[in-house]
Amino acid sequence: MSEAQAHAEVHHHSPPTSFIGKYVFSVDHKVIGLQYYGLGLLAVIIGMVLSWLMRLHLGWSTLAIPGLEKLSAAGAPGNVMTPEYYLSLMTMHGTIMVFFVLTNVPFAGFGNYFLPIQVGAADMSFPHMNMMSFWVTFTAFLVLMAAFFVPGGPPLSGWTAYAPLSAVGVEAGPGQGTGQTLWAISIAIFCVAQLLGALNFISTTLDLRTKGMSLARLPFSAWAWFITSVIGLLAFAVLLPACILLFLDRVAGTSFFIPSGLVISDKMQAHTGGSPLLWQHLFWFFGHPEVYIAILPAVGIVSHILPVFMRKPLLGPRVLVGCMVAIGFLSYMVWGHHMFVSGMNPFSAILFSVPTLVITIPATIATLLWIGSVYGSRMRFTTAALFCLGFISVFISGGISGFFLAQPSIDTYLHATYFVVAHFHFVMGVAAIFAMFAGTYFWMPKMTGRMMNETLGKVHFWLTFVGVYCIFMPMHYLGLAGNVRRYAAFTDDFLSPLIPVHQFITIAALITGAAQFIFLFNLIWSRLRGPKAPDNPWQATSLEWSTTSPPPFDNFGGRQLVVNHQPYEYGVEGPDGDYIMQTAPEAAKAR
Amino acid sequence: MNSTAPAEGPGMKFFVAVWIGLMAIVGVEVFLTYRHLPPRELLVLLLALAFVEAGIALWYFMHLKFERAALVWSLVPAFIFVVFMMDHFWPDAFRMASMKLLER
Amino acid sequence: MEMAAGHHPIVMEKSPYGIPPGKLAMWCFVISDAVTFSAVLFAYGYLRVGSPDWIAPFQFFPTIVNGLVMTFVLLTSGLTMLAAVEAAKQGRTAAGTRWLWATCALGALFAVLHLLEWRRMLEEGWRLFQNPTGGSVHFGAAFFSVTGLHLLHVIGGVIALAIIAIGFARGKYNRIDVEITGIYWHFVDLVWMFVFPLVYLMNAK
Repeated sequence: MSEAQAHAEVHHHSPPTSFIGKYVFSVDHKVIGLQYYGLGLLAVIIGMVLSWLMRLHLGWSTLAIPGLEKLSAAGAPGNVMTPEYYLSLMTMHGTIMVFFVLTNVPFAGFGNYFLPIQVGAADMSFPHMNMMSFWVTFTAFLVLMAAFFVPGGPPLSGWTAYAPLSAVGVEAGPGQGTGQTLWAISIAIFCVAQLLGALNFISTTLDLRTKGMSLARLPFSAWAWFITSVIGLLAFAVLLPACILLFLDRVAGTSFFIPSGLVISDKMQAHTGGSPLLWQHLFWFFGHPEVYIAILPAVGIVSHILPVFMRKPLLGPRVLVGCMVAIGFLSYMVWGHHMFVSGMNPFSAILFSVPTLVITIPATIATLLWIGSVYGSRMRFTTAALFCLGFISVFISGGISGFFLAQPSIDTYLHATYFVVAHFHFVMGVAAIFAMFAGTYFWMPKMTGRMMNETLGKVHFWLTFVGVYCIFMPMHYLGLAGNVRRYAAFTDDFLSPLIPVHQFITIAALITGAAQFIFLFNLIWSRLRGPKAPDNPWQATSLEWSTTSPPPFDNFGGRQLVVNHQPYEYGVEGPDGDYIMQTAPEAAKAR
Repeated sequence: MNSTAPAEGPGMKFFVAVWIGLMAIVGVEVFLTYRHLPPRELLVLLLALAFVEAGIALWYFMHLKFERAALVWSLVPAFIFVVFMMDHFWPDAFRMASMKLLER
Repeated sequence: MEMAAGHHPIVMEKSPYGIPPGKLAMWCFVISDAVTFSAVLFAYGYLRVGSPDWIAPFQFFPTIVNGLVMTFVLLTSGLTMLAAVEAAKQGRTAAGTRWLWATCALGALFAVLHLLEWRRMLEEGWRLFQNPTGGSVHFGAAFFSVTGLHLLHVIGGVIALAIIAIGFARGKYNRIDVEITGIYWHFVDLVWMFVFPLVYLMNAK
């Protein structure tokens, strides 16, 4: 048989009929996308609850939190958190949020659902491997969650798991026994899942585009998912051996990351001759591209949604894609800026600082393109649009602090203070999350066939937007004042005047957290009782809007889609209104 | 549709010649090892030869020569760039040697 | 054009690389795995450079000789793999299957030789954390982790080759699948081209 037929036959699979085949072990990318999204939702709730526990302790370090002793008798005797347990909760908060929320939802969640549709394919290139990716991710999640329940509890070395604390074993502290080992195993498993996912994304974007869908006609979200998967392919490839070597240090007696002469609790460690810096290099070599893996899909999603509600295309679309590519490339050159005060060669610091400042350029260009596009537009202020605008705001707020941290001289002071906490929470914990919200409000009608409630959405937006500024803006000032991070309580003389600020932040965090239940309620209620969504509720142009809400099993009901247009033809005279769909006939040219 | 016509290639005779060439390179590597060169020089030479071997394996055995140039230009520079970046590790490695606590 | 429900569009944009998706995915996997091995080799290099008490312990006989034999076996398996791909391209299923099994057998031989070497070293007192010659303990850590990672890939490849051989004979897999397996197998050989000089020859007495 011919190559093309062989190729097409490979992807032919008929819809499943059993419950297990439809909703559990499904090869349908849409189901898999929703599974990732659901996992992300579960993870973000757990991560958020952990942050409340942390914030309560930071504001009131002697507070007895009801029920905490049940979670860990050793960690919270009398319901009062020990400092060690604070660090454990902090570690799990970071790990869960970075891996299972930020790497998960914008990329694996929305990407799995919408990449094949946006390129006009019936599924991903490798549906079975796709299914495996999700279940491997889920396994990684279970292994990580198990750390809460093993003797000693979860690890306390931070999501960055710096050696030698993370490498020596149980004498380093509670949670550094089985808990840390489970962490290393979980993250290694996660790497494998991500690698498999990246293979699918790359192959699907390059090989399964329907007729007329040239690379130049890909929506920004598809570009972002593609670039992210290339970054991930090369970055997770380094975290995997790092975790394996860490595992060997912990269980096999090696000393990759453990130096000689280490005395812990009056006991000389048997290990000798390793390098904690080696762990940092390997980890951040992955860790920096990772944060761009977290933000680029968000950038793509926001760039994709904004034109719909501005009713005009973005300025400089090719420049924007170029910026995403530039960010991806540069992300491999900057990791040492996490290590300015680590004892790393100070000349290396210069070599890292310059590209870090350079990487702000494409990020700034992208921001200016968004602002320039929004200016003068007749925006439809739907909830999705509001979250996109909110994204731009917090991306700027978070990005600007990056300019400061990029410079070793300033970072010497600001490293490991709340200034850094503010920076990464704004860009990752808020901006990326805003993009996830925007994506949800925008795409939920397509995924579920029901509209979400706009009023509840707007209330959710405003409470969240004001809330996150109340939480994270003061942290910049805390950092400048010298407030160290990763401390459970602030009892030193120079820090105790700052405690009222922490208390304010905690209250803001709790209120903002509570506001998220509006979103959750909206999500569930709309899914069950929301008004039915038409095929194209937003009058949008990309391929996902050329099919039903939700799409049929093979995405387009057996139709062969032919693409004749760019994805952002808004504000033009089209056959159905002020837009031209990508699948509109070629004759429907813009005025 | 995706054009996937079989990549043209040479016959087995050619591959046997390449195989002999690769084994010859291994022979050179062993020869150099027992010349008792200073370690740094040996390392540079062995790495160079290893890259030559790898290049041959990629080009002929893995048929990259017969694929589109775009594939080569996408894969190889990305890999070289990423690995080149890892050279940032070396300053800290060399410094470690003079800072080590020698333990038995 | 209307198509029966469940069928997928056949008319698509050309892939920029002109190769089937499976082959592209295998190339991407190879690059990723190459980065993984690079990271492990860098870690080895880092620790070696940083260890002034590093002693090269390998005698010509048996270690380097064994390494040469393993290199020969693996290189030859690359040749048999090429023969399998050529046969598959020409539609000669029986010959292709035989060459696949030959490659599989050579790969298994490599793994056996390697495990025997490991056993000999363990008997001499080598461990991940122990060096019987009194030199740096990192030697064992680096040696066993680098060669262990490679060995895992060899064993995975041997299993894959067996599965492909069986399936190819039955018509379940086609020549493209054989080619894709070949890319993986040649990659495993390629990694050895770095492991042998860096781990064996650089540690020859």
